[in-house]
Amino acid sequence: MTASTASSGPSAVRAPAPRSMVGRRRLTSRRMVDIVSHGYIWLCLFVFVTPFLALLVYSFTGPGGTYAIENFQYVLGSFGENLWWSLRISGLSIAIDLAIALPAAYAIVRYPVPGKRLIFSVLSLPLYVPGAVIGLSLVITYNFTYHLTTSMWGLVFAMVVGTFPLMLTPIIVALKDLPIAFEEAAECLGAGRWTTFWRIVFPLIGPGVSAGLMLAFIIVFNEYLVTLFVHPSEITTAPLRIFNLVRTAGLLPTTAALAVTMQLISLASVLLFFRVFGTRYFKGTYLI
Amino acid sequence: MSTVRLESITKHYGQTVAVDELSLDVADGEFVTLLGPSGCGKTTTLRMVAGLVEPTDGRIFFDDQDVTDIPPRKRNIGFVFQTPALFPHLSVADNIGFGLSVKGSSKSAIAERVEVMLAMVGMPGYGRRLPAQLSGGQQQRVALARVLATDPRVLLFDEPLSALDKNLRDTLKYSILELQRRTGKTAIYVTHDQSEAFAISDRIVVMNAGRIEQIGTQTDIYLHPRTPYVAEFIGANNGLPGTVSGHVGEGDDARVLVEAGGHALRARGRDGFAAGDAVVAYIRPEDIQILDGEGGAHFENVLEGTIDRVIFEGPTAQLRVHVGGRELRVDVSGNQRLTLMQRDGRIRLGFDDITLIAAPG
Repeated sequence: MTASTASSGPSAVRAPAPRSMVGRRRLTSRRMVDIVSHGYIWLCLFVFVTPFLALLVYSFTGPGGTYAIENFQYVLGSFGENLWWSLRISGLSIAIDLAIALPAAYAIVRYPVPGKRLIFSVLSLPLYVPGAVIGLSLVITYNFTYHLTTSMWGLVFAMVVGTFPLMLTPIIVALKDLPIAFEEAAECLGAGRWTTFWRIVFPLIGPGVSAGLMLAFIIVFNEYLVTLFVHPSEITTAPLRIFNLVRTAGLLPTTAALAVTMQLISLASVLLFFRVFGTRYFKGTYLI
Repeated sequence: MSTVRLESITKHYGQTVAVDELSLDVADGEFVTLLGPSGCGKTTTLRMVAGLVEPTDGRIFFDDQDVTDIPPRKRNIGFVFQTPALFPHLSVADNIGFGLSVKGSSKSAIAERVEVMLAMVGMPGYGRRLPAQLSGGQQQRVALARVLATDPRVLLFDEPLSALDKNLRDTLKYSILELQRRTGKTAIYVTHDQSEAFAISDRIVVMNAGRIEQIGTQTDIYLHPRTPYVAEFIGANNGLPGTVSGHVGEGDDARVLVEAGGHALRARGRDGFAAGDAVVAYIRPEDIQILDGEGGAHFENVLEGTIDRVIFEGPTAQLRVHVGGRELRVDVSGNQRLTLMQRDGRIRLGFDDITLIAAPG
């Protein structure tokens, strides 16, 4: 009863039954809490979103303070190549991340690997190490061993190293939550390991996989520092281009347009992944 | 549809012995229940039959085929788990069809089989639902349909009803038995619930500490417990420790005279008790009668005691009676349970010598 009154705020005020003074006072204090909590949420939104709004407004600024859509034509034209590189590097990196992380997570969770905690800690190292340190380490490694500094794969590999724990961790968590009975049931019904994995395990750890993909994509897509160290001269990703432009030409509306576009792509990826992978398996399963 | 033979299978987990040289023969179409407390090795035994656990030692045969080294997916078994373990992302129909689909059956054949299976477990028309939209009992029915769909050689049940409430357990256990009878499949069923085991089994295997205590039919185990463990485990038995004072009768009428706590009792017992041997005489709470007044002369055994506590449970009442410094449990049913409350502290109990079982102490 009390719960329903609380949730239906305004309609409760108009309730026809006469209320005692105590009832009124409680209602008022409840409304106060309501207003304060709503206000707080809006304040947070304002604080966190304002910078992005400022950037958005600036990206539409034309010469002499006019309004211009041309800035965004730049994004597709001159900056198109940078965005394309960013997308390609991100796509390749998360694909390789996933290909390594799926079997790795399965082995760590389902098999008695000796020293699995230590392995997991070491694999998570890139999460705690500053980008500059990773970049420097990779430059040294590449120069002395693989000579990868001049190829796209060197850059992709650097991204994989940096984001692998982001992919691995949510998959491990999802697998740990998955009761082994599902796999055993599939096995007893005649399914081999491969079939069981792709038809039962993979769909059921979908939320973990999608979280990993999303996190890794956003980090790679927006990565600037490590890229600065290991990128070959012919590859300039979008974040790198933004930095170069700001450094050499100052803050131009066209650069702001590129930044806004990157933001939108990141946002879209978050929405897309939750839509395609996340909610589908959240519903109607034990995962809730 | 095959026999199952376990030849001294053993399972060690590190230092612990979960199953110790267990041998068992299950006939074609037989329903055998492994009964025992948790940790007695019954589930481990079942999982070894399924191939989900590898035995440390011993062999497992289906008919005359040695399946010990064959993985579960090639053993053609139907395993029903404690939880229904339905694949939550697949519809009921896809769950039931899963086994056939991984074996490469055609879509139409699968659809046909799924319909037959749904009808068999009494859930026609449920094919398109997701498991989460079903009740616990319905989920376990679908799990049954799922294992039956692949036409397995052996059905294995690992406490499939333990997660359900009592009324559902009672109806579903008969559904399981009926399905097993109708399909004629060999079944091995694991449970810790005696009434469940007694209701559905052809034979019961009482297990304790990784070993078989006794194999037999319900009456074998109930009336002729071969070890003290079985005597105490089956039924909430009252044990009266005492010493043998003599024998009377021959063959089936052979009785052991037991001196227990100042009472002279007549009990059934195996041959070979010598006067002076320590024994425990077991009497079940439901076999004890409450005697009115001075009656009860036809009972071989009569005890006197004081009522300590009356626990009214509805269909029965449970009585705790002090007899010579020992507490006996007596289950009372019928009208007598309703008049118990008016009785004073003294009470006389009577029981036949056929219900008192002497076992080595």
